[in-house]
Amino acid sequence: MVGERRMKMMLWSRLVVFLLGALLAANAGRGAAAAEPTDPVEMAIELLHRADADFRQLGLDAIAHATPGEAATYRYAAELSKLPAGQQRELLAAFRDRGDAAAAAAVTALLLASADADVRADAIRTLGVLGNATEVELLKAALAKPDPEQAAARRALVTLQGRDVGKQLADAARFGEPSLRPQLIDILADRRERSILPDLPAFLLEEDTALRLAAARFLGMFGGPEQVAGMVAGLLQTPAGRERDELARAVVAVSTNNRGHAEAAKSFLEQFKQTGAAEQEILLPTLGRIGGPEALGIIDDLVADPSRRAFGLKALTVWPTAEVTGRLFALLEVTSDSAERQQLLDGLIRIAPRPDKTINDGKRLELVKQTMALCQRDEDRQRLLDRTDAIRTVEAFRFVVGYLDNPALQEAACQSVVELAHHRQLRDAHKDEFMKALDRVIAVTKNEELSERANRYKAGKTWERKKA
Amino acid sequence: MAEQPTALDTAFAALATFDWGQDAKALQPIDEAVVACHGNAGQRTELEARFTRLLSQPLSRAAVEYSCRKLCLIGTAACVATLAPLLDQPEHSHMARYALERIAVPAAGDALRKALGTVPDELKIGMIASLAARRDGQSVPAIAGVLAAASKADQTRLAVAAADALGQIQTAAAVDALAAAASTEPAVAAAVVNARLAAAEGLLAAKQPAKARAIYQSLAAAAAGQPDAKSIELAATRGLLACAELTAAS
Repeated sequence: MVGERRMKMMLWSRLVVFLLGALLAANAGRGAAAAEPTDPVEMAIELLHRADADFRQLGLDAIAHATPGEAATYRYAAELSKLPAGQQRELLAAFRDRGDAAAAAAVTALLLASADADVRADAIRTLGVLGNATEVELLKAALAKPDPEQAAARRALVTLQGRDVGKQLADAARFGEPSLRPQLIDILADRRERSILPDLPAFLLEEDTALRLAAARFLGMFGGPEQVAGMVAGLLQTPAGRERDELARAVVAVSTNNRGHAEAAKSFLEQFKQTGAAEQEILLPTLGRIGGPEALGIIDDLVADPSRRAFGLKALTVWPTAEVTGRLFALLEVTSDSAERQQLLDGLIRIAPRPDKTINDGKRLELVKQTMALCQRDEDRQRLLDRTDAIRTVEAFRFVVGYLDNPALQEAACQSVVELAHHRQLRDAHKDEFMKALDRVIAVTKNEELSERANRYKAGKTWERKKA
Repeated sequence: MAEQPTALDTAFAALATFDWGQDAKALQPIDEAVVACHGNAGQRTELEARFTRLLSQPLSRAAVEYSCRKLCLIGTAACVATLAPLLDQPEHSHMARYALERIAVPAAGDALRKALGTVPDELKIGMIASLAARRDGQSVPAIAGVLAAASKADQTRLAVAAADALGQIQTAAAVDALAAAASTEPAVAAAVVNARLAAAEGLLAAKQPAKARAIYQSLAAAAAGQPDAKSIELAATRGLLACAELTAAS
């Protein structure tokens, strides 16, 4: 209610300023026109009303890039309401290029008066360029409209300049219309407006799923050590599923990538230690993904504890680096539990070929070979072969080529050979070997796409991955 | 005892018999002398005199070309009388123009103007181009005459060159001559329009919007409502806007 009244007052004051400006400018224009029949503003306006688009463009160019000054802007702005919808949109585009805020009031008036959604969306876009904090209320209201206005308002609120814009948006995200709060948080993220950060962990505990997800996204991008405790509380309260995964990803990003990530990881570990066994089970996969020597110690203790071993193993198998492979191999050697064996093997299949800054490509291939030796089922071997193309070396290529003649594994081997052949430098450096292998792929694969790709690489062509 | 020839003497002796395919190193002292005489009027006059003496005798095309290239850097009114007779010699005309076009003395323009009336038709385009490059206002009546005569005689290339030249010269007389030009030959008519637009742009760049506006207005009025002439009307309208912007800004 207060916002609505404020918006109306703002619009009225804008309108008064615009009418006064337009009146003064029109009089100035008339005076100039009488003395000088070649007034450029008058010429541009005349061109603006032409039926021929090429002539209109001349006028629009003059509006966008020449004839400077507020008085001229007022005269151009006064034409907005006289034009048909299509030409209104052209003029709005010219105003965006002109960048003179004097047109903002006329644009606002058009936004409120036009029955054409595309015109309104363009008016919103234009306010995003010309406006300031005064336009926040109006643009926020447009967020509640359907597209194209909503999309335009979202973009406009991202680009809108002005000292108080960020503060107003942050306040609206805190206390504003509930249905708009998630969008506003995303807008604040796009604006890199971090002042909302301290409030976000509390948003993770609110009822609105969209709000919680938006807060998690923001925290994942900009969160730091100060937010970790709140994020852990949110994680513990979030039911298992997509939302918890999103939030866990955000915690991992904060603890491994963002500003102060080492401190954040430490903070997460502290939180982990302070929670009870049931909560720790929820946090374990996240702990595994964050990694680190202290976390590894905790997981080792869990693995050693028969009552919590399964959780420890789960964390171990999602570890981000190869430092746990030794443990996984050792555990595989001694375990007699088939489910546990499979879990450990799955972990190795995931971790061994995975890009990892802590070990070189040769070591990764060695881990793959060791893992392959432990696989007893073809489906495991297939998965491992399928992932081996992550090691982009000729040795890895030769390893997978060795499986091209194995009927049970050749399709997975074909996949990896073709993926490795995609890398021109690797392919061209070992042309003869690759040509021979690609011929073999073409001969044995039942996958048409792989066959097509193999043929393209043989011919020195590239291949564009289809978008999902 | 006879005086020893200097390196420059030897180089000029070499130039007298120089031809393409020979080692140009022999001419290096002349290159150096041309550079060294910058700011030294005495040396420059002496060097120019050596070239004029040389050009008075039969020379290969290579030697004439070399000499003209140097004279365009150091030449004065003193060398014009030597270069002018070369203008009507098809073999040397272009290089003589090359030098005269760049020698900034009225006598050079006089020589080119005089030659325009005497050289064969195939050399006239060159004279016109050089006079245009000098933006020689005195040549406008002659070039306008060429434009009119060539248009009547269906000498399209010559007429187009004359129109282009008037567009470059941009004096009031040149602008009037273009406005008065009448040709039904499309290539010539297009060249006249282009030349008028070029003249107007030149006037606009020289901050003479009133003169430029008159050309643009005339072109816009003539093209108005003719679909085939829309590009001319657009160009003229753009020009009118630019004139108005310049007037308003000043």
